[in-house]
Amino acid sequence: MHSFGYRANALLTFAVTIVALMCAIASLSDNLNTPSPTAEIQVVNINWFQKQTHGNDEVSLTLNITADLQSLFTWNTKQLFIFIAAEYKTPKNALNQVSLWDAIIPAKESAKFSIHTSNKYRFIDQGHNLRGKEFNLTLHWHVMPKTGKMFADKIVMSGYRLPEEYR
Amino acid sequence: MDWQGQKLAEHLMQIMLLASAVVAFVTGYAMSSFQMMMLIYAGGVVLTTLITVPNWPFFNRHPLNWLDPSEAEKHPKPQVAVSSKKKPAKK
Amino acid sequence: MGWIGIGESVRSLNIKQSLFQLITLGMIVSSALMLWKGLICLSGSESPVVVVLSGSMEPGFKKGDILFLHMSNEPIRAGEIVVFKVQGKQIPIVHRVIEVHERQEMGEVDLLTKGDSNPSDDRMLYARGQFWLKRQHIMGRAVGFLPYLGWATIIMTEQPIIKYILLGVLGLLIITSKDERHKFSAAKT
Repeated sequence: MHSFGYRANALLTFAVTIVALMCAIASLSDNLNTPSPTAEIQVVNINWFQKQTHGNDEVSLTLNITADLQSLFTWNTKQLFIFIAAEYKTPKNALNQVSLWDAIIPAKESAKFSIHTSNKYRFIDQGHNLRGKEFNLTLHWHVMPKTGKMFADKIVMSGYRLPEEYR
Repeated sequence: MDWQGQKLAEHLMQIMLLASAVVAFVTGYAMSSFQMMMLIYAGGVVLTTLITVPNWPFFNRHPLNWLDPSEAEKHPKPQVAVSSKKKPAKK
Repeated sequence: MGWIGIGESVRSLNIKQSLFQLITLGMIVSSALMLWKGLICLSGSESPVVVVLSGSMEPGFKKGDILFLHMSNEPIRAGEIVVFKVQGKQIPIVHRVIEVHERQEMGEVDLLTKGDSNPSDDRMLYARGQFWLKRQHIMGRAVGFLPYLGWATIIMTEQPIIKYILLGVLGLLIITSKDERHKFSAAKT
């Protein structure tokens, strides 16, 4: 004969298993979403461009960032983590990615925005290769779910170039 | 609780929890609210607990006939060697 | 009904019972071990599941969340959330990669990480004289997560006495449940 404790235990175990299942299905439902994000970045100004005392190049920029990322949000989205990385090649390194700015978007309403800002993080090269360097600015986003699988993607914007001389 | 009641309680528990989960998921998805799904499911769990865990009388509609102590003495106890669990259910 | 006999019958039953319990316990432990090792193989990481221990990745990951890790041979790129251990320190750290410098000749890469809610990057956390993380420091990438469920682990680590109490209670339950199967209760439940 099953006791009170036995029934309570069976119920709890089953209930928790079901919760895990619901979370998994909710996560799977995110795959049904077809996002259509847009973004545009302008380099408004090169604030300064110097070779540091330790020999590495550093540049400071002001950017104008416009984006509409509302279609990335689903019912299972907790927040959107976005960042902008400058990507370029040097003779020594096949790929350099330097994060210039990031933000956390907590809700769909704030996912459509236009921002004027200088780089949050220092753009420092491993060396002194930045003069006249062509680089891409890529807007990356990471969709952090309330539960389950995280998604990440990006928009690559190319055609940016640093000045030939330090200033 | 009796055997029939036990079976009923177990089945009720499983069906009610699954039903709550389905209703919760569909509602939450339609309303685009994860929190709504969790709230509805939690409500369903509480309801299921109230109905299937305590020893309600409707689980005892086929009560077992326990042998009277005086009757038990008239019948010999089973031998341990065979380790049988047969109940001398004669009245 | 099955009454437990007295004398030698009891003793022999108890020995058989204890052996049975021991074997059952052994099977449970080895299945758990097989499952864990299998998970390690599948995820390619020596630690496929970690608990978030600090608030440096809030509001994305809070203390007590569980992260699922996966390590593939794909190159590590900026934005990925990685778990790494600093040489000489035991605690794994879960932060985001904000800089990647990958050499032309395939292989070596310099990485810089930062917690989302930290004001500055992790250079101060690295070992003395270490400016970059290398691939070998990375234990895995975070690919999925479950909220809140890691709190049990945190509590048991910070207050080991709770672990001992739990084990004691479990042991007691196993010992006392032995009798239930052979105890026939005439009372209605």
